[in-house]
Amino acid sequence: MTWWIPLRSLLRNRRRTILSVAIIGLGTAISLFVYGFLEDSRTQIQATTVGEYGNLQIASPVLWNDTADGYDYLIAPETEAEILELLAEHAGITGVTTQVQFPGLLAAGNQTQVVRITAQVPGNPTLNADGLIVEGRPLDPSDVASILIGRSLAGRLGVGVGDAVTLTLTTVAGAFNATPLQIVGIYRFTSEQVELQTLFMPQTFAKLLLNTAGVDRLIIGLSDIADTDRAATAIDRQLADAGLALEVRTWYELSPIYRQLAGFFDILFGFLTLAVFVLVFFIILQVLTLAFLERTREIGTIRALGTTRGQVFGQLLIESGWLALIGSLAGVAAGFLLGLGFNGLGIEWRPPGTVESSLLAVRLTWMTAVPPFVVSLIATLLSALFPAIQTSGLRVVDALRVE
Amino acid sequence: MSHESQFCHERGLPFLEAQSLTKTYRVGGSTVHALRDVDFTAAQGDFVVINGPSGSGKTTFLNLISAIDRPTEGDVLIEGASTAALSERQLAQLRKDKIGLIFQTFNLIPVLTAAENAEYPLLLQKLSRAERSDRVQSILAEVGLEDLARRRPNELSGGQRQRIAIARALITQPKLVLADEPTANLDSETGAQVMALMRTLNEEHCVVFIVVTHDPAVAGYARRRIRIHDGHLMEGGTDDLVDSAPKSPS
Repeated sequence: MTWWIPLRSLLRNRRRTILSVAIIGLGTAISLFVYGFLEDSRTQIQATTVGEYGNLQIASPVLWNDTADGYDYLIAPETEAEILELLAEHAGITGVTTQVQFPGLLAAGNQTQVVRITAQVPGNPTLNADGLIVEGRPLDPSDVASILIGRSLAGRLGVGVGDAVTLTLTTVAGAFNATPLQIVGIYRFTSEQVELQTLFMPQTFAKLLLNTAGVDRLIIGLSDIADTDRAATAIDRQLADAGLALEVRTWYELSPIYRQLAGFFDILFGFLTLAVFVLVFFIILQVLTLAFLERTREIGTIRALGTTRGQVFGQLLIESGWLALIGSLAGVAAGFLLGLGFNGLGIEWRPPGTVESSLLAVRLTWMTAVPPFVVSLIATLLSALFPAIQTSGLRVVDALRVE
Repeated sequence: MSHESQFCHERGLPFLEAQSLTKTYRVGGSTVHALRDVDFTAAQGDFVVINGPSGSGKTTFLNLISAIDRPTEGDVLIEGASTAALSERQLAQLRKDKIGLIFQTFNLIPVLTAAENAEYPLLLQKLSRAERSDRVQSILAEVGLEDLARRRPNELSGGQRQRIAIARALITQPKLVLADEPTANLDSETGAQVMALMRTLNEEHCVVFIVVTHDPAVAGYARRRIRIHDGHLMEGGTDDLVDSAPKSPS
């Protein structure tokens, strides 16, 4: 009927309205703070994962399913060229690179370590370890027998930049091979496991060592991470149409840790949302039941004047809508202030199994404000339903009799 | 306030008819008869005062003829149309369009100003803002409260509140106004002013006024006086009280 009468009604008992707004606002603010924190963590992990895997990878199903017989998954240069042609049709692709991974034994002095070599194309920005270097320099296209090793492995082997190490491996055909290598750089990574086991090497030299021209995967960079699924589906279809027995994997499919963490975050936020929902629902239910009950006679009066049950219900719901809107907006504002304050503290934390501390932060965007805002809004409106139905459904004579 | 029936050319035509109205309540295990087989007719221009002791069924009768309650038996006809089969929504529409209600305790909406309280029924009728504003100004002038339009009910005296309640009851230009003990919460002087105002509006607008009261002073304003006792209606004379009614301010 009108929007302003419910708003006036809401403000008639200021103390109760302030209490209700505070409860809704508190729930929204806590929810926003935790959701913003989880979203920031998720974003950091996404960036790390994409930095490690690229957005998409194309490889043989036997590699993905871990059912390879030797190196039978390698992609021949002609196939690689054919794929690159297919990928040229996609606008959202920022770059493509190739990679070969193989195991080996790294020896330094009298110490030996089982390692996994990741052979990259130096200078290709799609995926490289350039941003991880903490000492020395990144790999260069002119490098031959050069490697980057992890900070933890360098510490364990007691080696540094400029030192020589020896790598032993088997070729694609199964023959032993060995080569001296020079450490040109030391990298850091969030995972100590990666730092201990992974070496980076120029791909051209790796192919020489393996005695192959093939690569085991193509790695694709996308301009927008949100485009991952759409691009993966499109490329998968293209590969199938071209008769290539290759499959696309997304960055999150390639990272079990990310999937576990994302699932954990979802559960955590789900529980929090439920808790906030229940808190807001039951407290506001009580507050509104009392508020509407106090106005039984007034509602009887407006019904007697010709207001229908539906109109009374609508008015009460609009009133609750105002309360929900004001409370949720206040909560968003409070959540942003809380988040800004927290971010300003610059608290760092080192997760277990990692070597790098990361900054704890709350992601404060309008998108992170939407779920807590909507949850509080819905909880408040739902809590208003029962008292609104009950009050609007009263018989007029009964309502008028109430003192 | 302009009114199409200002000259009351329909005076005397039947407007409201109660046929064999019975209302019973179940209290504990027994049945209480609030009204027993009541017949009643009100014509255009009537000013009926209904009195009787507490618990005699006055308010029950008013509730039934104002369509805010349903009889156990019998029917209420308004302008010849039965209300028995009407839905809740249709009854609400009937009240909105044809009936004005005045309550003993004024029943103004505390968060609205005097003008907004008077305007409320027009919001239900979905009139334009300009038309609402015109009608509110006009009715407030008629009840002598145009200077207090922006005051909230708690800033008004009892008499002023009841005048606002009268303005609210009349603003939709209803053909029937029902008042339940309209002077019960007013001092005698203010009560007399309120009754005189109602009588003037009755005369000027040809509106049927039915006033329930136990205040003997109010009865003096009646064209017809009716007494309720133990759920029965007893006619106390028709038009024989007109001459004895105090002169209205108009």
